[in-house]
Amino acid sequence: MAGFIIRRLLYMIPMMFAISVVTFIIIQLPPGDFLTAMTARLASQSETIDPGVIAGLRERYGLDQPWAVQYWKWISGILLRGDFGQSFDWNKPVSELIWARMSLTMVVSVTTLLFVWAVAFPIGIYSAVRQYSVGDYFATFFGFLGLAIPNFLLALVLMFVSAQYLGQSVGGLFSPLYINAAWSWAKLGDLISHMWIPVIVLGTGATAALIRIMRANLLDELNKPYVDMARARGLSEIRLLLKYPVRVALNPFVSTVGWVLPHLVSGSVVVSIVLSLPITGPLLLNALFAQDMYLAGTFILLMSMLTLIGTLISDLLLAWLDPRIRNG
Amino acid sequence: MHQVRTLRRQVVSTVAATILIAAGWAGAALGFQEAPELKALAAAGKLPPVEKRLPREPLVLKPLESVGTYGGTWRTATFGGGDSEIERSIGYTRLVRWNPEWTEVIPDIAKSVEVNDNATEYTFTLREGTRWSDGAPFNADDLVWWNENVLRNTKITPAAPDWLIAGGKPVVVDKIDDYKVVFKFAAPNGLFLMNMATVRGSDILAAAPAHYLKQFHKDFNPNGIDALVKAAGATDWAQLFNNKIGFPGRWRDLGRPTLDAWVLTAPYNGTTQVAAERNPYYAKVDTSGNQLPYFDRVTIDVMQDTQAIILKAISGEIDMQNRFIETTDARAVIVQNQQKGGYGLFIARPAWSNALLITLNQTHKNPALRAVFSNKDFRIGLSYAINREELNQLIYAGQAKPYQAAPREGTALYDEKMATQYLEYDVKLANQHLDKAGLTKRDAEGFRLGQDGKRITFAIDALTGSPIQVDALELIQRYWKAVGIDMQPRPAERSLIFSRLQNNDNDGLAWVGGGGYDFLGLLDPKWYFPHEYESSFATAWGLYYQNPKDPNAQEPSAAAKKQMDLYQQVQKAPTLAKQLEAMKELLAITRDEFYVIGTNLEPDRVGIVKTNMRNVPKVIPSTSFYMTPGPAKPETFYYK
Repeated sequence: MAGFIIRRLLYMIPMMFAISVVTFIIIQLPPGDFLTAMTARLASQSETIDPGVIAGLRERYGLDQPWAVQYWKWISGILLRGDFGQSFDWNKPVSELIWARMSLTMVVSVTTLLFVWAVAFPIGIYSAVRQYSVGDYFATFFGFLGLAIPNFLLALVLMFVSAQYLGQSVGGLFSPLYINAAWSWAKLGDLISHMWIPVIVLGTGATAALIRIMRANLLDELNKPYVDMARARGLSEIRLLLKYPVRVALNPFVSTVGWVLPHLVSGSVVVSIVLSLPITGPLLLNALFAQDMYLAGTFILLMSMLTLIGTLISDLLLAWLDPRIRNG
Repeated sequence: MHQVRTLRRQVVSTVAATILIAAGWAGAALGFQEAPELKALAAAGKLPPVEKRLPREPLVLKPLESVGTYGGTWRTATFGGGDSEIERSIGYTRLVRWNPEWTEVIPDIAKSVEVNDNATEYTFTLREGTRWSDGAPFNADDLVWWNENVLRNTKITPAAPDWLIAGGKPVVVDKIDDYKVVFKFAAPNGLFLMNMATVRGSDILAAAPAHYLKQFHKDFNPNGIDALVKAAGATDWAQLFNNKIGFPGRWRDLGRPTLDAWVLTAPYNGTTQVAAERNPYYAKVDTSGNQLPYFDRVTIDVMQDTQAIILKAISGEIDMQNRFIETTDARAVIVQNQQKGGYGLFIARPAWSNALLITLNQTHKNPALRAVFSNKDFRIGLSYAINREELNQLIYAGQAKPYQAAPREGTALYDEKMATQYLEYDVKLANQHLDKAGLTKRDAEGFRLGQDGKRITFAIDALTGSPIQVDALELIQRYWKAVGIDMQPRPAERSLIFSRLQNNDNDGLAWVGGGGYDFLGLLDPKWYFPHEYESSFATAWGLYYQNPKDPNAQEPSAAAKKQMDLYQQVQKAPTLAKQLEAMKELLAITRDEFYVIGTNLEPDRVGIVKTNMRNVPKVIPSTSFYMTPGPAKPETFYYK
C-alpha cells in the first residue's frame, strides 16, 4: 500500500510540470498582455492612462521578455522559495490574495457539499426503493427542474426575492452592519442568514444530479439476487438496504471525489460573481480577464494539484470501501 | 512684463464673494463650528480644538442650496477591485480642481495659483495651517519632497507621466517659502492645471505626506526598509512604495494620511465594503463657518456584478450615485422604482457626444481597404445611408438625436456644421457618393466591388460587453447592405480589440465618444485627430504621433500633421482662450476631413439621489475626466 502511494506521488511530479508549462502557455496565448487589458478596461470606462506610465510598468513587470524567461522566473520562485509571484492587478503576493479568500470559500463550499449530501442521499434512496410512487415522481420532477435551471438565473431570482420581500441587503455574505465588524456570535448569525441563497443556488444542480445517480445505481442493485438472498435470511429491510445495495451504489460517488476538491475552490465562479460573494471565484475570473498571469497561473496550478490529490484520495477511498477493488 | 493669470474661485471676483469671505472671516473671529462627535473629542482633549485643526483662512465653500446639518452615511457601490469610484467620491482633493459646472479650474487645497505667460512656471500659494488627516502640517516641503524623492526618483518612477513632462524633462518643484512653491517646466505645458484636475492629479497629494512615506523610502529608512518589504510580501522597496502611493494600492493602506473629506476606515480590498469617516482636519468650511463635510461616514459596497448594483439602487441601498446604474438598459427600471427606493433623479450628462460612432481605419494594412476608407466620398455615402432616426427609436427609446462626432451644443468649441453635416437619411445621395468614390461595379449579390475587382468587405469591432452597440451595429449592417456595402459586426473582448489596435490590425471600430465637453476635447482629443492608437480612424498615424519609430507607425497625411502641430500649440498656450482658439482651428480640419461617422447624440443619463439629500446639482457631467461626482462637492451634501 505504501509503495502504491509513493509511486502515485512520484507520477505526479512530471504531471505537474507538464501542467505548469501548458498552463503558462495558455495564459500567454491571448493577444496582448496585462497592460493591454488594463488600458482596454480603462478605455471602456472612457478613462486613459499615460503611455509613459505604461512603458514603465511593462519594464517593471518584465512583460517585454520572452515567455520562457517569464516562465522560469515564475516556476523557479515557486520551487526554490515557495513564492508564487506577484499579482499585477493587486500588487500583492499571489499566495496572500488566495489565502485571504480561502476560509470563506471553504465555508461556502463545504456547507454546500453537506447540504447536497444531506438532501440527495435520503431522497435518492427513497425514490429508488419506492420507484414510481408519488414521492418518486415528485423528487424526479424537482430533480429535473434543479438540473435545468441555470445557476446564475436562480441566483438573480433568489437575490431579488430576498431583497424585495425579506428585506435583506443585496449580495455578499453579510449585512452592511457586520461587513467590517470583528467576528462575533451576531456576525455568525448574520452569515448564516445570508448563506441560504448561495447554498441553495450552488446546491440545486448537484443535488438533482446526485439524486438521479443514486436512484439509478440503487435500482441496478435492488434487483440482484444477493438482495433477495439477504431478505430471505430475515435481515431487516433498513439494515439490508444500507449494508449492501447502498454501499455498492456509493462507488460512483467515491470515484468522483477527485473532482470535488478543485470544485471547492472554483466551482462557484458564476454564482459568486452574481451574488458578489467575497470568495475565490470572482478573483479567478478577473485574473483571467485582466491577464494577470501569475495569479491566474497559480489558480490553475492549484486546481490541477487538487485534482491530482483528489483522484488519489478517491482511489484510496474506493479501495477501502470496496473489497473487490482492494483485493482485485 | 510678467503678465499673470490668476485662477480664483469664480465668486471671488464678485461682490457677493467679498461678503462671503467676510462671513468666513467673521466665522474665524467667532470660532468655527464642528460635528458633535469631534466637539466631544476636542472637549475630552483627544483632539485639538477646531480652530487649531483648520487653516488660518480655510477654503469657504458655498453650498448649492443651503447650509447643512451634520450626520448620516452616504452609501454608494462600486464594481470589482480596481475601479475609480472611490477616487471620485472620497478622493477628489487636489491643489486645483474643476468647478462643479466644468467650465474652469479653481483652487482647492491651494489658495491660489499663478501662471507665467509662456506656461512654464506655476506658482501655488498654500493655506497656512492646513493639516494632514493625522494632524501633521501640510506645507511646501511636502510637495518638494514628492518632486525630489518620488517623481524624480527613477527607482520609484521609471518614467514620469506625460502631463508632468515638458521639453523632455519632468517638472521641478522649488520652494519659495513655507506656503509657496513653484512648479517649473523645461518647456510650455499649458494643460498642466487641467490635467491636475482630472483623475491624474490624485497622484501628487497621495505621494506627498513625507512624514508618513519616509519609512517606506530606502533613502530615508535604509536600515528598517528590508523588514517592511518582507512583512508586506513585496518584491522590493520600490514596489512597496508604489503600493502606498499608486492607485488602487493607496486605498488599501489604512494608515495613509490624506487631505480628503473622509478618511479610510475599511480598505478597498476588492471584496466587501470600503468605509470612510470624517476627517477631523479637513481644511474647508461652509459659509456659516461649519467645518465640512456634513456626512459622518461614506460606505462603498464592492460588487462583482453591475446588475447587483442596480438591484441595490432600486431597493434603496444607494444614496447618491450615477455610475453603473446609468446605462441605457437600466434606465427604465431606475426611473420606475423612484418611490420604492426613496430616491429622485439627477441628470448625469455624458461628457462625450456620440452614443455610437464608427471609424474606418484609413491606415489599413490592406491597400484596397485603405484606398476605399481614405476616400471621403465613401465615408459621406455611408453616413447618408444610416437611418439615424430609426436607430434612435429602436435603440435609445427616442431619447437621442442624430449627431456627428462633434462638440456638444452650448460649448465653446461647438460647430454647428460639424455636428450636423451628412446626417440626413438619403439612400439616393448615399449611392451617388459611393459611385463618386469609384465603386460603381457590383457583384451578383449587389455588393460593390473595389478597384481590384473584389467585393469590399470589412468587419467593425464592438465590445461584447456593450450589447446595445452590437444591436445598433446590426441595424447599420442592414442600412449599408442596402447601398451595396458588406460590413460585418464583430463583437470582441476588449483586450482583443486593443491588441488589434496596437498592431494596426483593425478594420474599424464602433465606440462611444467623439469630443463633447470642451475640457474633454482638450484633454482627450483622440476622436478629433490621430492622437494615439485609439484614434482608430487612422491607427498608424496615431501611433506615429506618440512615437514615430513605432514599427506599426505610418507617415500621417498633411492635414493630420497640421492638426498635430495645432495640438502642440494647444498644449503650449498659457490661457484657456488661446487653447480654445487653436483647438477651433484644429476642429475645422476635423470637420473637413470627416474622419469619423457619428450616429446619435448620447442621451442624458440619470443618477439617483435620496429625496432628503440636499445640495446635489441637477446636472452633473459624467466622465472620469470630470471625476464624477467629486467636483460637485459631496462634502457639502447633507440629509434634511
